[in-house]
Amino acid sequence: MKPAPFEYVAPSTISGVLEILGQNDPDEVKLMAGGQSLMPLLNMRLSRPALVIDLGKVADLDFIRETDEGVVIGAMTSKRAVEDSELILREHPLLWESTVAIGHPPIRNRGTVGGSMAQADPASEYPAVALVLGAELVAVSARGERTIPADDFFVTFLTTCLEPDEVLTEIRIPRLAPRSGWAFQEVARRHGDFAIVGATATLRLEAGVVVDPRIAVFGVADRALRFSAAESLLTGQAASDEMIDEVASQAAAAVEDPLEDAHASADYRRHLAGVLVGRVLREAAVRAAEASTGA
Amino acid sequence: MAIEIPKSLDQLPTTRPRYVGRGIRRVEDVGLLTGRVEFVDDVVLPRMLHCAILRSPLPHARITGVDTQAAEALEGVTAVVTGEDARRWSLPAQSSPEGWGTHCIAGDKVHYVGEPVAAVAASSRRVAEDALELIEVDYEPFEAVADPFEAMKPESPRVLDAQETNVMLDRVFTWGDVDGAFADAAHVFQEKFRWNRLGANPTETFGCISEWDPMSLDLTIHGSIQSPGMFGLGRAATFGLPSNKVNIISHPHGGSFGGKGGTRGCDISCLLSRKVGGRPVKWIEDRGEYLLSGGGQAWDRHYEVALALDAQGIVTGLKVGLVDDLGATGEAYGAISAAKPLAAFTGPYTIPVAQYDLKLVATNKLPCGPYRGMGPPPHFFVLEQMMDIAARSLGEDPAEFRRKNFIPADQFPYTIPSGNEYDSGNYGEVLDQVLALSDYSAMRAAQAEARAEGRLVGVGVASAIEPGVFDWNAYAIVGMPGTGVPEGATVNIDILGNATVRVGFSLEGQGQYTLITQLVADYFGYEPEDVRVVQLDTQSAPPSFGPGGSRLGVAITGAVLGACERIREKMARVVAVLMQSEAENIEFMDGKFMLKGAPGAEMTVAEVAGTMLARSDLLPPDIDPRPEATHVWTAAGRTPADEQGRAKSYLTAAHAVHIVQVEIDAETGMVEIQRYCLADDCGTRLNPDTVEGQTEGSVVQGIGAALLEEYVYDEGAQPLTTSFMDYLMPTVFDAPKIEMVAVVTPSPFTPLGAKGCGEGAIHTTPAAVMCAINDALAPLGTSAREVPASPMRLWKLISEARNRASDESNDD
Ligand SMILES: Cc1cc2nc3c(=O)[nH]c(=O)nc-3n(C[C@H](O)[C@H](O)[C@H](O)COP(=O)(O)OP(=O)(O)OC[C@H]3O[C@@H](n4cnc5c(N)ncnc54)[C@H](O)[C@@H]3O)c2cc1C
Repeated sequence: MKPAPFEYVAPSTISGVLEILGQNDPDEVKLMAGGQSLMPLLNMRLSRPALVIDLGKVADLDFIRETDEGVVIGAMTSKRAVEDSELILREHPLLWESTVAIGHPPIRNRGTVGGSMAQADPASEYPAVALVLGAELVAVSARGERTIPADDFFVTFLTTCLEPDEVLTEIRIPRLAPRSGWAFQEVARRHGDFAIVGATATLRLEAGVVVDPRIAVFGVADRALRFSAAESLLTGQAASDEMIDEVASQAAAAVEDPLEDAHASADYRRHLAGVLVGRVLREAAVRAAEASTGA
Repeated sequence: MAIEIPKSLDQLPTTRPRYVGRGIRRVEDVGLLTGRVEFVDDVVLPRMLHCAILRSPLPHARITGVDTQAAEALEGVTAVVTGEDARRWSLPAQSSPEGWGTHCIAGDKVHYVGEPVAAVAASSRRVAEDALELIEVDYEPFEAVADPFEAMKPESPRVLDAQETNVMLDRVFTWGDVDGAFADAAHVFQEKFRWNRLGANPTETFGCISEWDPMSLDLTIHGSIQSPGMFGLGRAATFGLPSNKVNIISHPHGGSFGGKGGTRGCDISCLLSRKVGGRPVKWIEDRGEYLLSGGGQAWDRHYEVALALDAQGIVTGLKVGLVDDLGATGEAYGAISAAKPLAAFTGPYTIPVAQYDLKLVATNKLPCGPYRGMGPPPHFFVLEQMMDIAARSLGEDPAEFRRKNFIPADQFPYTIPSGNEYDSGNYGEVLDQVLALSDYSAMRAAQAEARAEGRLVGVGVASAIEPGVFDWNAYAIVGMPGTGVPEGATVNIDILGNATVRVGFSLEGQGQYTLITQLVADYFGYEPEDVRVVQLDTQSAPPSFGPGGSRLGVAITGAVLGACERIREKMARVVAVLMQSEAENIEFMDGKFMLKGAPGAEMTVAEVAGTMLARSDLLPPDIDPRPEATHVWTAAGRTPADEQGRAKSYLTAAHAVHIVQVEIDAETGMVEIQRYCLADDCGTRLNPDTVEGQTEGSVVQGIGAALLEEYVYDEGAQPLTTSFMDYLMPTVFDAPKIEMVAVVTPSPFTPLGAKGCGEGAIHTTPAAVMCAINDALAPLGTSAREVPASPMRLWKLISEARNRASDESNDD
């Protein structure tokens, strides 16, 4: 379990990174963030780049900032920093809760927010959370900067819409609307494992009916999925048990080609998706109701 | 002169034991925690090379060509070996049953995924791995067989060319009038079970450095080796060397649990060392190799079991049919695990007759090896499920149903139908203790409430025996020859009175060096700091098997106390001469030799040792002046196995009852362990902290077995669980709080009355967790018969049961 030979550089600026990318065939290059996904791939020789660019020394990619619109997180911010952030706990408890479901403390110490987004593991928590929170991802390349909505970012297994010469720099997460309810749940064989299936949702209750529900699942398909049909079905309805059951089973039915592996069949994954969507909607509705009465 | 080894703590020559029987700070821990202990991968020898092994990606294929030229040409590569070298310089591995071993590198064909096909020695492991990519192997794939029932069919692909069949053994062992018992039974219950392949995963995988002296043909092997003596004999057989030409230096290792097999990799590094003219070659098995093709897979079993009961609910007969999938060869001694249940076939019960229909079958999977418990844990899983099936069907409480079938305390020593003798026990007391600890009736009341709310809460009660202090005779039915497993120790007192104990095994985690320290300290009235434990290589050490089969605590206690007794006896003669008396008049207590009836006439151990070493002129001529003695202990009274495999085999029988409460999430199938209580009786507790540590670890491994761990192969025998992403070991987060209570019924047959306890709870835990799960499922009219009870399996059972129920209510 030793990696195939590769060159290694650790530039200290983003422009330095872009310059090196420009001088090499970007398909032969791998960016390294926390290395928690990349290093195993290198060690098992499943990934064999000629050059590894370590982003660890690049200035100004490790931050959590509050802005007028919400929160901005630098791509190289560790999950541990998110977990330790008062700001995140206050503004985005959903993000906080999904963070502590990722792996174990040593993995969160090194693993980064940008790395998880760029890795786009179908069972990863962050992409689904980025979907329901309406996050935007910012990438730079020699051609300039672009801002990509989370809905467009995740393409399929371990694939995002980033070009090989693009570097993810930050993730912008808009503030949750006031009196929103939220929930996050996953089923994993063990604490800290990648989930078999997970689900997350946000919604508001106004005059007894659901407004702006957002529902996403992960671990079920080739990428995190948002369920727009189910969301429309729920919009404007009371969050009754019957309604939530119907939305959950619609969401489960909407999954095409659920994943299958040694631990979970396609049927079981689809079933869990329905169960968990139901559970997060109930929990989110309770939180939304509390927020409304509290206000 | 016969040596009397103390049979109980009060027979030690001390007013009050200060160390034995207490938890003392482990002497091993400072070195382990500060990283000073030298593991094999820390060892760097001059001119050492590094080995990497190329493994078959196919489960069954003819090898039509191996081209190593490009690899040999790579800078840093010194040598490449293939099946040809293995055939030239080594023999097929010894196996159980005999004749089912192959060469360490595949020759004409590969038999399982991960089988070595070539290996490289290079300047570093990385270069060696680079070279592997340059080796070209041509395969002609064959159909593979992954299912033992398919493998038993005459038309199945044959795994080994050297055999006519895939059936390694097919025999029925009958102990008593089993047909009569089933014919006369008031109730008969029958069920099938599946125990999926799992196994040991020590923190450290196997590693070794092999050095082949080209002049003398001596072979020296450093390694993380559990049983150095056995390992040396195995290597001598493989290389056709006299056993005195193989020297094994075992280094402290990060656990084993039976998983430190490693023989193939070691033999390959020996071949490489020979090919490079004797330079040392290091092979460190990485975790990928370990999970794919290491020594850590065991117990791939299909059971069919029947229980006969009389009208009073007393079990009168047991039939166990086992189809055991041992994988491609018998080299890793997986067969022993099918034989060991004979040592405790009928568990803690009075079941008078029993039958074992045993089929050992070869498939194109990794050869099975040993794992903590060596076979009985799955056996007790099926026996305990049958006990629950009977109790539930008769409407009896599972705890009380077990109690009335227990061997009564006044019937020990007790011979079970499969031939072994249990030394002692008080099973009713163990049950009482755990019922009290768990507040069983309150647990049942809470369960009733939860059930009324529609929740799937279950309580499991399971009871099992841990056979301790193994003997080879237990495995006679799978072709293991001989009787007697010696363990030796040499105790030496230096000129200032400090004690050094020399043994033949290294640190593995169980704390035996601490135990040795406790024993010597109490025997000679010393402090632990006065005692040093040293490990010798196999050419210097006294006879030793080392840890395994829940034996070493008892065996090393016998060896150390025997050596201490010999020193005492020798010193008493010296003191008698010095005091102008007779040895019978010299008493030894609390570290002092005293002349009877002469107060003040006394010498300390240090004074006697100093005199012996400095003034041999004062000693009688027939006394060896060294204050040193070696004792080799072996279990007395072991008998050769009869034609039906019956023997007095394992010397001790520890006992436990576990009570577990679980809740199953009916929608997801996830199991939560809400309480874990146990009582166990392993006789005298030489170091209670060690017993508790062993118990906790073993419970967690048992939980892994019940809920998580499984090596999955697809229908074509491709392994699907080749990293820790897929092979799920329990972590600390999966471990419940374990509540424990001890009962102490000393063994009448062992040093200090201690029983084997190292394998421990894994005998009972999988059974107990599965009993709890099935108790939770009972209201749905379904039950889990497959281990591990993964959430998907439980969800399927639950949803099928609910669908059946709704179909039935629709029919009404
Ligand atoms: C035992 C274990 C358990 C885990 N459990 C979980 C879990 O439960 N849930 C979960 O989500 N994850 C889990 N992970 C993965 C972990 O969260 C990783 O940290 C994460 O997937 C990748 O982050 P990283 O910073 O380590 O990225 P790296 O491994 O360094 O990189 C991952 C990929 O992203 C690319 N990349 C990284 N940064 C950028 C960037 N700024 N711009 C463009 N591309 C970039 C890299 O080139 C690489 O392809 C686990 C990992 C381990 C080892």
